[in-house]
Amino acid sequence: MIALPRYNLEPYVEFAKKAFAREATYRMEVFTEVGSLVLRIYLLRAVWTALYAQNAAPMNLPLHSMITYATIALLMSLILEVDGTRLIRERLRDGSIATDLMKPISVPFYFFSDGFGNTALHAALVIPSLLFALLLVHIDVPSPATLAVFFLSFAIGYFVNFLVNFTMNAVAFWTLETFALQIIVRWISDLLSGQIIPLVFVPGNIGRIVLALPFAAIYSTPLLIYVGVIPPGGWLAALGFQVLWLVVFAAAAAAIWRAASRHIVIQGG
Amino acid sequence: MLATYGQYWRINVLTFLEYRANFIMWFGFTIVYHFTALAALFVTMHQFPTMNGWDVRQMFFLYAMWMAGHELHNAFFFNVVSVPEYVREGRFDRFLVRPLDSLFQVLTVPSQQFPDGLILATITFCVATAVVGVKVDLLYVAMVPLIAIGGALIDFGISLFVAALSFWFVRVDTLRWVVMSLEQEFTRYPISIYQRGVQFVLAFILPFAFMNYFPATYFLQKTDQGLHLNPVVGLLTPLVGLAWFAVSYAVWRVGVNHYQGTGS
Repeated sequence: MIALPRYNLEPYVEFAKKAFAREATYRMEVFTEVGSLVLRIYLLRAVWTALYAQNAAPMNLPLHSMITYATIALLMSLILEVDGTRLIRERLRDGSIATDLMKPISVPFYFFSDGFGNTALHAALVIPSLLFALLLVHIDVPSPATLAVFFLSFAIGYFVNFLVNFTMNAVAFWTLETFALQIIVRWISDLLSGQIIPLVFVPGNIGRIVLALPFAAIYSTPLLIYVGVIPPGGWLAALGFQVLWLVVFAAAAAAIWRAASRHIVIQGG
Repeated sequence: MLATYGQYWRINVLTFLEYRANFIMWFGFTIVYHFTALAALFVTMHQFPTMNGWDVRQMFFLYAMWMAGHELHNAFFFNVVSVPEYVREGRFDRFLVRPLDSLFQVLTVPSQQFPDGLILATITFCVATAVVGVKVDLLYVAMVPLIAIGGALIDFGISLFVAALSFWFVRVDTLRWVVMSLEQEFTRYPISIYQRGVQFVLAFILPFAFMNYFPATYFLQKTDQGLHLNPVVGLLTPLVGLAWFAVSYAVWRVGVNHYQGTGS
């Protein structure tokens, strides 16, 4: 498991703040991101409206739920698409990972706080994006209890996503080049996580398999809770399944990290 | 210039022979990219069999047609994405002191470009042609390559325009990424699902609809339910591509002159 910081939280808060400030300097990028999101929301409305207009609506997911699903998925992607562990790759390439490992800090936790600060900036973008979204589409708001469970599930999904990225980036300790691999995993994950289309549309046994994969824990579970496809009776099982994947990936990340730090010492840094 | 270009492809082929593992990796990359897009399309169309009168096979054809133009662009003009980086790092100045067109030089920087996507696009397009049951006559065989070239020029025009912006703004990488991904998403559907204004933009301002929607409408003998244009406009894609490229090349020239003017 990721070692807890030995002294206090202060340095990690600073790392997060620094990452936030660093990302905030690229103002033009931030505006482009919000602009692109608005266009995507327009697109999803057009697409789903056209599809629902000429076909029978699927059970338990009427048009307004579908638009809510797709819009919330886009807002979530502002936070989840940030690769908070990109730093691992950069530090490995320029070799500064060696000095990082000498510092009296927990390096994985350092990466986490950097990623968190980076994410925090993008999370701040959710609010203006949401306002723009409301100009274009109507979003259903579920009961407070559902909303609370959604946020809990989203938080678990965030950690699963972080650990998946962390594991991917840690492969760079051996190969140094993981970019292609990572993008491939990202595309597959976008599809299998239910970000693009609800996984309940995937037919038959393939659908059942896809819903059981770890990717579903990132987007699909919180979203299906939000739109009510997973009813209150199924919440506990859904969250339990997410936690299961969280534990699996935490163990994998810890194992890879241990092996990786040993590997770098043997290589002489 | 032609000799230089031949030399560039010779280096590319030699690099490819040298780094076969790399080639396989990038091929996998391209396959996964298009596979995920098509998988999402098939799953959606499994649940909803028709979209404004287009069925799953026709939607597949629409995608394959976009893919042909897009991958042709990637095979020959892709390196224009590196311009912002060249400008930031001051490497662009090197192109300006050499006796060849700066854009030509950008496109011939050896960069391990393999035409893997083009190969995949050709296969996909042949499969789509067979699946959709389009009438393959002389006109079809003659026009399809021209439409792919026109589509590639439309794509190239957009990338060139974004690249030219980097002479004024430092970071345009996100903009480029956004434009490319929006292009891919908006061209995936018949434009009749959008509102009038958006249709107009996609047809006449950022003419992505000429990459696939108009030609596909013509070949599949459908009617344009959006702007109600005569389907024959689909055959104008090569001309639209040339015109659009001419405009963005003019912007590019202005950018290069501006860059030289400020001496930055």
